[in-house]
Formats: sequence, structure tokens, C-alpha cells
Amino acid sequence: MKLPISWLKEYVDIGDITPKQLSDKLLSIGFEVEEIISPREDITGVVAGKVTSIERHENSDKLWICQIDVGGKTVQIVTGAQNVKFGDCVPVATVGANLPNGKKISEAKLRGVDSYGMLCSGGELCVDDDVIDGASVDGILILPKDTTAGDDIMRVLGIDDTVLDVSITANRPDCQAVVNLAREISVLLNKPFKMPKLTYKTHGDTEMPTVTIADKSLCSYYLGRSIRNVKIEKSPKWMRDRLRMCGIRPINNLVDITNYVLLEIGQPLHAFDRKCIDGGITVRKGKTGEKITALDGKVYGVDNVLIIADDKKPLAIAGIMGGEYTSIFDDTETVFLEAARFERSNIRRTSRNIGLRSDSSARYEKGVDWLSVSLGSDRALALIDELGCGEIMNSIVSDGTTVPAEKVIRTSKEQICALLGIDIDKKTIVSILKKQGFGVKSEGKALVCTVPLVREDVDDYPDLAEDVMRFYGYDKIVSTHNENTHQTFGGKSTHDKNIDTLKDTLRACGVSEILNYSFISPDAADKLLLNADDALRNEIQIKNPLSRDISVMRTQLVSSMLASVSRNVLRKNDAMSFFELGKAFIAEKLPLDTLPSERDILCIGLCNDGDFYTVKSIVERAVGKFCAYALTPVTAAYLHPKQALHLSGDGVYGDFGKVHPLVCENFDLPNNVFVAQLDVTDMLNKPIAPSKFKPISKLHPVDRDLAVLVKKSTAVGDMLKAVEAMDESIAEVKLFDIYEGAQIPEGYKSVAFSVKIQPQTVTLSDDVIKNLMDGIITMLSNDFGGRLR
Amino acid sequence: MENLKEILTEYTEKIDAVISERELAEVKATLFGKSGAITELMKNLKNVPPEQKPQVGKQINDLRVALNTLCDGKEKDLHRLAIERSINEEAIDLSIDGNFKRIGTLHPVNQIKNKLVDYFVGNGYIAYDSPEIETDYYNFQALNIPLDHPARDMQDTFFVSDGILLRSQTSSGQIRLMEKHKPPLKMICPGRVFRADDDSTHSPVFHQMEGLVIDKNVTLCDLKGTLEGFAKFIFGTQTEIRFRPSYFPFTEPSVEVDVSCFNCHGKGCRVCKNTGWIEILGAGMVNRRVLENCGIDPDEYRGFAFGMGLDRITMILCAINDIKLLWENDVRFLKQFD
Repeated sequence: MKLPISWLKEYVDIGDITPKQLSDKLLSIGFEVEEIISPREDITGVVAGKVTSIERHENSDKLWICQIDVGGKTVQIVTGAQNVKFGDCVPVATVGANLPNGKKISEAKLRGVDSYGMLCSGGELCVDDDVIDGASVDGILILPKDTTAGDDIMRVLGIDDTVLDVSITANRPDCQAVVNLAREISVLLNKPFKMPKLTYKTHGDTEMPTVTIADKSLCSYYLGRSIRNVKIEKSPKWMRDRLRMCGIRPINNLVDITNYVLLEIGQPLHAFDRKCIDGGITVRKGKTGEKITALDGKVYGVDNVLIIADDKKPLAIAGIMGGEYTSIFDDTETVFLEAARFERSNIRRTSRNIGLRSDSSARYEKGVDWLSVSLGSDRALALIDELGCGEIMNSIVSDGTTVPAEKVIRTSKEQICALLGIDIDKKTIVSILKKQGFGVKSEGKALVCTVPLVREDVDDYPDLAEDVMRFYGYDKIVSTHNENTHQTFGGKSTHDKNIDTLKDTLRACGVSEILNYSFISPDAADKLLLNADDALRNEIQIKNPLSRDISVMRTQLVSSMLASVSRNVLRKNDAMSFFELGKAFIAEKLPLDTLPSERDILCIGLCNDGDFYTVKSIVERAVGKFCAYALTPVTAAYLHPKQALHLSGDGVYGDFGKVHPLVCENFDLPNNVFVAQLDVTDMLNKPIAPSKFKPISKLHPVDRDLAVLVKKSTAVGDMLKAVEAMDESIAEVKLFDIYEGAQIPEGYKSVAFSVKIQPQTVTLSDDVIKNLMDGIITMLSNDFGGRLR
Repeated sequence: MENLKEILTEYTEKIDAVISERELAEVKATLFGKSGAITELMKNLKNVPPEQKPQVGKQINDLRVALNTLCDGKEKDLHRLAIERSINEEAIDLSIDGNFKRIGTLHPVNQIKNKLVDYFVGNGYIAYDSPEIETDYYNFQALNIPLDHPARDMQDTFFVSDGILLRSQTSSGQIRLMEKHKPPLKMICPGRVFRADDDSTHSPVFHQMEGLVIDKNVTLCDLKGTLEGFAKFIFGTQTEIRFRPSYFPFTEPSVEVDVSCFNCHGKGCRVCKNTGWIEILGAGMVNRRVLENCGIDPDEYRGFAFGMGLDRITMILCAINDIKLLWENDVRFLKQFD
């Protein structure tokens, strides 16, 4: 909220505290000043001057020689402007002055005549008609006649004010108003607070429309007043300046007053042209088919929307915007001034539903208290009276609940101090609360606090503790270390510990962690060539995504992995090994009616950094740490049909292999990328059992090499595993060569491997070893069609 | 037996002059071979008169042992020299780097997360995991943010369907924990959160860590002590913290917590935007309504809660100047964090 210092000063004397000091102090009571908006610093040395003589330059038919009173002295200035007359007040940039365009004024001779300065146009001072009349004309800015010569131009133009942009937390809607913020500052600086003028003359009674509220839970108070013989004109400069500083465009005196009161008291008001109201006023929900053309010129359907209506038609969308045809026009004679309290959540909901926001609705959404209604109405009438905009009638019309009771909180010094952990004496607590407008009564040990209606946020003793601390000072809170709390046993869950283990294993394999958004593009499924009926296509959609690219929750991590790899390749980072461990979101039914299943997915991606066997080794190492698993060939949409395996283990499953060449094309990737995607959710929830020691044999092992000829299609890994499973004394089977070519028949390959035989209890005789090897050869022949080379 | 001395002198010189193992073998042959000097002496022993035999025999043996020792010594010397020669041949260029595969890196946000989690876990907190897709109830209502409450404007939330959304704060973990477990409780809940905000300083996905302590006599001073300990652990022992009043619907009183700038120690610098302080988290005493919503009696128990942005803390600690870097996964970025 914008707080012009001059406005603040009307209600509290802030002394000579600087805006920066005030901002620092405001921070200590919970109001952060986001910006100190200072007057422009690029205009200096410009003052108001009065033209005391003007005559033509002898050597020019365009130049004029002016004598200008700049307050106490007269300077001679030669000007080329043609709109300056004797007696005019004008902005004068004196010698040494600086202008916003970077111009620095110095003495000059124009066609032989000395000139000590320059007269300025509105443009040269960066102001227009909105700031001061005549600023937008082509020529020198002619200031009002009553301007005092010698006055600083910034003051004359009303652009010398400093404005604090204060961030108001959602619990303090009351401080969206100048007066209430001024009250806080008065407590902060320990200075008296003055209320704005709320009194005005009235001019007898008049006939008023009746007011009826259909549902008082949506509108708890509605107050109407009449102003007769209104004169619609421009509001005074000081009012227009302040509105502008607060970001509101001045319109006319009546509208400006309602906006001024909105900023000052925090009460939205609406002015209707009385002659447009037919019969009585009702605050009710709109009926089916009802429409209104609002002040923004657009037509809104108000079916079931809270409106202000007369006997015939909707007049306004309650608390949000008035109707175009019932508002103030230049020919308005009598004004009906509305002040009301609309329930905030209904305004918020309605505003979002119909897509219309206004300063008024923004204010109502935050919450307006019951008493501001009459306060706001009275302040507006006082200003109307003061500015002579019309005659205020005595008649008042209203409907609403009775004044709500003030909340009473029973607490004690002890209760407040126990929460805070420091001791504050009772007198200090009482005094701080009273200064903020709380009623405080001591009843024995108890403090009975009455909460002013304007403080709707306060409803329990911790709120009071906070209000005490804001002014007592949070720097008085000391550090203690839970001395009075119980011992607890902390720790990571099995799941978190397993994640650490898994990531450590992957890192040891040279794989680096990446992070991707949890939402992806709905096009990702197509890019991965997923089938039309693939379950991974059942993505949860975000209702209000920032863009299509991040509009559905991921069901897989592969597409973002490939996108990350691709981004690197594009940047000439050629080789990489990545992993991501994150959630994928699997919906049982769409649209969601219960929370989806969140699966822990491990995705690995290698690019130009190894082959199929690399990704296979990494996957096996990562999973092998946790459980046994089986590998089987698989067809997966995004994987190369000839280089893909499915892994299945206790609590883990997924596929890995080479990325399909067409998918590589879709992601602009070289045809050398390998990925793995494993659902590790259940695996991560199982504790890893400590490894069990197996006795180490003291006997020497025996190594035997074998070379067998098998068909080219034989799965060598399976074959070697079969060898290993032949006898428990076989400790290791190690492949050392696969050979095709010369001396090998077409369609065959030679597989050479060594077998380490490790006797456990007795040394094996040559016969036993020979038997074992013969057994292996027979098995290879029977099961794999192998023959010894 | 004059010639024994001569043999000793002669061969001592010969052995000394030997420069290769081959020469040494030759010398040894001339001494101990079939017709070697020592062998000859032994053969001649039979011609020695019997009464002198023991003495002569001993002298010959002494000579044999002496020469043998010389030969063994020489052999060792030669072997050492040979090794030294081959060592020289094994000289390599030590300036070349090994091509051992690099260890993979953990993402910096997770490195910092682990550091923070370890701190709190060591202080008796459990690490708690809570869903990323959440109901409106856990993300808002139970945290004292009713439907259509202005406090909802504090966060731009992504919605999924009726009453289901992407959690906008890890505070939802507070409620889930308190529903399941009874006090005393100490918990942290790190995780991803989502807000519809994407500009130069915001990412629509980021990481938060929630902290919660519920017990009978917890105070605002305990909160300060806890966070001060944490700040000193993370930012260094000279670090101080400052409380500023603020507002969160689920805590009362609520505070913003600033740490003294670790870079300039309060003097003012670029890191702290010349204020001497860096805002790192929000905290407060758990709102009584939140406890009530979880079935905990607010007259019996109190608590404090705090929440911090892990991405922001990571950026501060690792001097990362652009939030987008955290999500680009550029190899050149990642490998700086090993």
C-alpha cells in the first residue's frame, strides 16, 4: 500500500524522522517498506517566477526578453516561447539548475542579450495535464496565478512528496488504510494520533429509497446517504496529487472523494445517480438471466451473483463495480452514496468467477470491519462539505445486523510470557495493548482484553502476545535450547537411507544427479512413441498451467531426462552420465478424485559415455545392492528393440537399453544414448540386510580355460551362468574372448572363458577336476549346442 | 700357506673390479668351479701332512667363506644397481592427468538438503516425507487458511481437480505428521513445492524444508535458539539471527528470520543488498487452531514451526547467481559440485 508522507503527517506528527528511519522502524513492527519512492532528484534549481516585464528582442522577431521575479530578486531571461505574457507565473530554471533531460543551465548571450536562465515547459519538467493544468500545451507551463514567486517548483507542482510502498500482511487488512497505519506509527513513535475530520453540515431531510438486505451473512451492513445539488467538477490539486501518488487516476470531485476515503479509511464507497434508482434498494443474489453493464462497459451475467438492485434492475455488482448507467455524470443533481460491508470470501469468489477486479473488490476481499462503514461514509460527507460539492441531507437509510460484540480474550501475563519464553512485566503488557486500542482490565491474575472491531485478526492470546512483542521488540527474545522439552529420537527413514545408498552407488559409477520439473508437456508421450493405450499417457493435468510445456504431471522421467541430455548436446557438452531420482504420478482414475500414487522412479541416461553394457552394469550395481533380480528381453516403445532388457526384482521393476533411433531423432539426440527407468518405490522401503560372511577356503584354486563353438545367436551370458551353476566348487566363470571370423564356421562364434574351481574342504584330485570339466562340456553340448574347439 | 693370502688378495681385487653379473659368475667359476682355485686347494689337502691337516683345512675353509661372502656382497650390489637402472627407465611424465572415470556429483540442492537434514536429525528430528500432490485440506484448510481466505493470495497455487492441488508449501507435512503421531514431536519435512510463478527469481518448482517441534513447554525463545544453532552450523559460528514480526496463518506469533550476512558480517555488501542481513526463513509458534485441527490440545501442548527455501539457501551458500541454473542440468554446472 502506498503511503504518502504528507498524508501520514496529517494524522500523526512524525517529527524529523527520515523516510529511511521510518521504514526501518516499520520493519520492526511487521510492516516491510518495499520501496521508498522519493521525489525526482534530477530537477534542481527550478523555482516559480513572475513575469514583471516582457519586450521583444531588437535583433529577433521570435525572441522575447523577460524580467522575472524569482522571489526577492529579478533575473533577465531571453525566451523563444510565444505563450508568455506579463504577470504570468512560470517555472524558471535559474543558472546552475538541472533538468531531467540532463540539461544544466548556465548564463548565455542570445543575439547579444544576456540571459540568466530558462523558462520551462511541462515536458521539460516531465509533467503533463494530469499533474497540473497547462502542462501538456506546446510552450511554457503557465502556473496558477496564486503561485508564490521563488517557491521550489517541486512543491508548486505537488511532486515533492515521498511515498512509502508498504507491504501489508494478510492479517492486517485494517492497515490498508492511511489512518490505521498512522495509528500504528503513532504507537511506534509514541506520538499522539489525530482522527480525520468527520463532521459536516446537513440540509434537512429528503425522501430516501428503502434498503433491504436479503442475506445478512453476505452483507452485514448497508448505509445510504443523499447529497443534493451536486456540482461535478475537478477535485482540488492536493487530492488529485495524493490519488495519483497512490496509483489512482483522478476523475471528478465525487469519484475522487470515494477513492480518497477508500485509501484513507479503507472503506469502499459507491456513488449512484439518485434519479436512476427506481423504488427501493435490495441487496440480493442476481436472478437467472439478469445482466448488468458495468462501469468498464462490459456486460456481466449476474445469475446468483450478489448485486445491488432497485425495483426494476441491477444497479451494481455488490462491492465490485457499479453499473454504467447509474453512475455519476456531469448532469447528476442528487447522489445516493453507498457504504457497505460485504462478506470478503463471497466478494473474492465472485470476483474470480466473473473475472472482474477493482480497487473496491480488492479491498473487500481482504476484509472491511463493521465500523468502517459509517466512518467511511462520514469522512466522505465531511470532504464533500469541505470541498463544497453539494448539500448533504440529514436522512439516513440502512439495513444490517446490530453492531457485532467486541471479542473478549481472557489471558494472563503468565500465559503470554510462557509462550514467549521471556518475562515482561504486567504493566508493560497492559500499556502496549492499551496504546493499540485494546481494552484491558485486570481481574486478579487474569487480563481481560477487549479487541477493537477493526482488529478482526485478533482472536486468541497468542495474537495479543504478538502485538505486545511488536512494540516491546523482538530483539528482546533470547536464544534458549529446548531445555524444557522431551528427548526425542531423530533419524532418517529406511526410505531416505536407501536413497542415500542408491545415489552413492550411482555416483561411484560416475553418474551425476540432475533435477527436472515434475510437470512435462503432454507431447512427451508422442515423442517417446508410446502406444495410444499406454498407461503412461494417463497424465494428471494442471488446471492452471504456466504453459503447455509444463502442463501435465509426469508419469515417467525418461522424456525430461532426454530433454536434459539434448540441451547439453546442443551446447556442445558431448558426453554425460545422468540420473534422476524423483516422483512420477500415477492416477487410478482421471480426473482425480483421490490422491494419485506417487512412485519413486530412478532414471539413468548416458550419452556418448558407454554402451549397452555400461548402462546394464550401472543398473545391476544399483539394484544389486538391494535385492536379487531377473533380466528378460523386452519391447518398450522408446527403446531399441534389439538392445533392451526388463529388470524385475523384489520391489523393483523397469526397462533399460539403447534409446530407439526414432526417439533420438525426436529429441535431437545422437544415436548413442542409453536409458534406464526403474520403479524403485518398494525396494527403497526395505532395509538392506547386512552382508553375511562366507568362510574363505585355505585351499588353492584351480583355473581351467575352455573355448567352445556355439551358434551366433547363443546368449553367452546365460551360458556362462549355467556353467557357474553346475557345481558349488565353481567360484567364478570369466569370459575372455568371443571370436567370429577366420577358422570359425559361418553362423558360429567361439567363446573362450576361464573357470575357477575353488575346493572348500579337501584338495580336488585330477580325476575329480576332469569329471567336473567333462560335465561342463556335456552340459554345454546338450543345452547350448556347444562343441569344444 | 703363503699362497692363501695371495689368493685372497688377488680375488678380493678381482671381485671388487667386477661390473656385471656375468663377470661375477666367471670369477666364481675360477674360484669354486671344477678346477677353481679353492677347489684345487681342497684337492691338494690330501697331500698335506696329517698333523697339519686340521689347521690347513681350517685356513682353506676360512678363505672359502671370506671369498663367498665377498661374492654374495657383490651380487647384492650388482642386483641393486640393476634395479636402479631399471627404475630410471621407468621414469614417466608425472604432469599428465589420469583418465580415471570421475565420480558422479550430487545436485547442489540435494547436497545442501543433506547437510541440513543431518543437522536436524542429529538434534533429534525425524525426516518426514509428505505427498507432492495434496488435498486442499492439508495444504490450506488444516493450516488455518480457509477457502477464499486472503492468505491464499500469498501463494499462486497450481490446481489439479476439485480440492486437489500441487502442494505450495511443505507445511502440509506438519498436519500429516501430527495426525499420525502424538507429541512430543520433532520433525523436518524436505521436499518439492510448486507455485505458479516463473521469472528471473522464481521457479515454478522449488524445494522447501519444514520444521516442527511440539511439546509441552516450547517457547518462542526455544525457536530462536534452534534457528540460531542452525544458522551458525550453516553460515558459520559468528552468524547472528534477527526476528521480525510477520504473518503466516499457521503460526502465531509469526516471524521472518534474517541471518547476519556471512559475507560482510553486517557491514553491507552485494550478497545482503547492503542491509547486513539475509532473509532465509519464516517461522513462528504453531497456531492453536492448527493443533486443534490435528486433535492436539493447544492448552496442553505448544509448538514452533519453521520453513525455509532450500534453493535459496543453496544459491547463497554456493554463490549461484541464477535460479534457472538449478534446473538446466548443464554438465559444466553440475561438475562444479563434486
